[in-house]
Amino acid sequence: MARLARRALHGLFVLFGVSVLSFVLVELAPGDFYAEMRLDPRISEATVRALRARHGLDRPLPERYLRWVASLARGELGYSFAYGTPVAPLLWPRLRNTLLLTGTATAAAWALAIPIGVWWASARGPAVRRSLSVLMATLLAIPDILLALALLLLAVRTGWFPAGGMTSVGYEQLSRAARFRDVVSHLVLPASALVLCVLPALTRHVRASMASTLEAPFVQAARGHGIPEWRVVFGHALPAAANPLVSLFGLSVATLTSMSLLVEIVMSWPGLGPLLLEAILARDFHLVLGLVLASTVLLLAGNVLADVLLLAADPRIRAEET
Amino acid sequence: MKLPRKLALAASALAGVHFAALAAGFLAPYGPTEQSRAWPYAPPTRLHFFDEEGHVHLRPFVYPLADDETRAGGYREDRSQRFPIRFLVRSPATLGGPGEGWRLFGVDEPARVFLLGTDGFGRDQLSRLLHGARISLFAGLLATGISLGLGWVLGTVAGFYGRWTDTLLMRAADVFLALPWLYLLFAVRAVLPLHLSADQAFLMLVLVIGLVDWARPARLVRGLVLSARERNYVLAARGFGASDLYLVRRHIAPQTFGVLLTQAALLVPQYILAEVTLSFLGLGVAEPVPSWGNMLAALQRYHVLSSYWWMWAPGLALVPVFLSYSALSEALHSRVGPASP
Amino acid sequence: MSDEPLVTIRGLTKRYRRRAAASSAPVEALAGVDLTIERGRVLALVGESGSGKSTLARCLVRLEEPTSGEIHYEGTEVCSLRGEALRAFRERVQLLFQDSAAALSPRLTASEIVSEPLEILGRGDAAQRRRRALELMETVGLSSAEADRRPLDLSGGQRQRLAIARALALKPRLLILDEAFAGLDASIQAQVAAVLQDLRRREGLTYLCISHDLALMSVFADEVAILFEGRIVERAEAARLFAAPAHPHTRALVAAVLSVPPLAEATATS
Repeated sequence: MARLARRALHGLFVLFGVSVLSFVLVELAPGDFYAEMRLDPRISEATVRALRARHGLDRPLPERYLRWVASLARGELGYSFAYGTPVAPLLWPRLRNTLLLTGTATAAAWALAIPIGVWWASARGPAVRRSLSVLMATLLAIPDILLALALLLLAVRTGWFPAGGMTSVGYEQLSRAARFRDVVSHLVLPASALVLCVLPALTRHVRASMASTLEAPFVQAARGHGIPEWRVVFGHALPAAANPLVSLFGLSVATLTSMSLLVEIVMSWPGLGPLLLEAILARDFHLVLGLVLASTVLLLAGNVLADVLLLAADPRIRAEET
Repeated sequence: MKLPRKLALAASALAGVHFAALAAGFLAPYGPTEQSRAWPYAPPTRLHFFDEEGHVHLRPFVYPLADDETRAGGYREDRSQRFPIRFLVRSPATLGGPGEGWRLFGVDEPARVFLLGTDGFGRDQLSRLLHGARISLFAGLLATGISLGLGWVLGTVAGFYGRWTDTLLMRAADVFLALPWLYLLFAVRAVLPLHLSADQAFLMLVLVIGLVDWARPARLVRGLVLSARERNYVLAARGFGASDLYLVRRHIAPQTFGVLLTQAALLVPQYILAEVTLSFLGLGVAEPVPSWGNMLAALQRYHVLSSYWWMWAPGLALVPVFLSYSALSEALHSRVGPASP
Repeated sequence: MSDEPLVTIRGLTKRYRRRAAASSAPVEALAGVDLTIERGRVLALVGESGSGKSTLARCLVRLEEPTSGEIHYEGTEVCSLRGEALRAFRERVQLLFQDSAAALSPRLTASEIVSEPLEILGRGDAAQRRRRALELMETVGLSSAEADRRPLDLSGGQRQRLAIARALALKPRLLILDEAFAGLDASIQAQVAAVLQDLRRREGLTYLCISHDLALMSVFADEVAILFEGRIVERAEAARLFAAPAHPHTRALVAAVLSVPPLAEATATS
């Protein structure tokens, strides 16, 4: 518990650091949203100045930061000039969608990586090991952008899956069950893209971890006792091999969150990614700031989850606490 | 032994690709921005060795393209004329081309040799691929240099001086590592001007990609420096009055080079992909200068995605490059030791 | 030779903060050590592991700073030396580390290791340094054939002698030997001891020999001081201390030694 509290505190500190870093970064940008407006001869200089003053853009840096933090406390996260609303309401639905995508992809990736990795580690014949090795190496070399585009091609050519977006036209008219099915059918391709990108690295690590555990004396002993192989592998070896894998979990969340940015854009999944691109093109810095923070929160949440899992999985760490 | 052979293969593949990129002006039959407006989305020109009568020609030839009346926007081969491939042609200055100079191969007018087809503006994809390789591949290399350089300096300072410097730097590293990498990259890109010339864009990409990712190499180097610093022979040298600079130069730095090399093999493909991603989304190198990223952007349109398979070339070209770097990093890993924490 | 002690240590204290548990009291490695080292003699500092011996050695050569106390070398206060004066002091006093393998950089050749101090201080060019390195190696009984070999290719005894040669490069007056004999076979110990004694006689060196091996020190050293829980609890001529220990801790140490080692006959100084 104390460890979790310490981690949470550390996370908050990091979040603070990230906010300062992002804010300073944004402030370094040449010109702000209203710079474009100034070039328009129909809008007078006075109007621009008034607009800037209204949004507090002419105040010194620390003051602007504090105002922004205050708006954070109000739940606003600053003001989006391109959309004309506070940033926060724009973020929530997007954050939810990204969470849906990344969460599903993480679960699916691990659900596949563990059995494949275990199989790879415990396979007797070299043929299985060689072919998996080649398959994973090849998959690793295919960049995520290519995978996303390839899956999109699959959708366009075969029509088995919708080619992008999260919901179909006429979504509102559907029943709850149909709506669920609709979202799922849209989720398959982007999630698959993410899973395929991350699978090689995960399975490799699972294999490595399992391979060394399977050599351990206690595993040999279990076999010697006549315990069936599958039980040895899943009941004895896997839990022991779990520790480094749980640390990997946090890393996989980070990678997936990062990759989801591109996949969302290519496949038009309405998450944080496409909004970030729009915000950049519109020079809407507060929105950029909010989105970057949202993605950081996702990542930190993933790390906390990893810690909880680690605590649950490894009795040694639990003992350290008591 | 299998390992050196795979390593040799990977290394020569990489060397070949980079050489081809550097020699793009010579190897490419056309200029990267040279347009043949009459032939948008032309499929790859086929090379023939056998003509209509069944005679063999040692020198391959092509048939000129003509519009196919039966399909809108389609092409067929005009079999009435043959144009042999000429080697070492001297090409005149053309609009959008790199000017007068020698080319490895070409064909006489009005035929064209589009070995990888053309895009919507009738630009030869092979030429663009070769010229684009310069940007994408070298952006990755240069960014890696910057990232490892900065990471090495900061990691050595943190590990060597310890205490406050170390704490400060590692906390800063925590902050940088807390951001999903691509998001951080985008955020930094966001604050820079949107419209940059090709040279500026290249420089910007290299700097941004390289500077943003210092934290991981820094952490690695710091760990190594911390343990090296405590070795008795370092203490002995200190006992002789060695300066900090001497200790780093003579004893500590050499310990870090192996790991840096392994990291480099891991980072270069990542950074190439970063350039490709940014250019793909219009945040990197802009038209008309080709980079593998902005070339792939054409695939965002469904009809291009599904009908014109040759437009996938830049994406497919990445695969052997990544495979080679992967093999390289494995070989280095087994020789040097673990690279990732 | 003057009667003034070479080194005078008064009230030397060193406290460490334990990093593992935040709430525990600091560890006192040295708790007010008073010690003098006489010129041209061998003083052994004996204590069990954790008694603070290495800490004392490091403080003496300014690899660590004491929490409080004074160290005087030939009348000069050591702990406040800086810059040029510190550099000059470092030439006078040299520390020989415990684990010779760890004390020699695995990347350098033997002659490079020996000439490193000269290189650091910028004395002479490469050719001159190599010549001096070979001279020094000869002094400790290493042939020039070993000059281009790496430490890991040498035996334990050879490595130890190499470390000694390096320590001699700057012509020190005082050598601090931190567990110079630990981990060596008895015959190698005899070899190294012989080299050291020979050197001392020829160059007029002073030794502070730190060890946990009371039996060995009783024959190698002139005087023995016992360090117990950060303080000097007894000091006497070697033979007398062994024969009639006064402090209960000394008595315990002596009792732990089963017999006088055969080394006594081989290296007994008369």
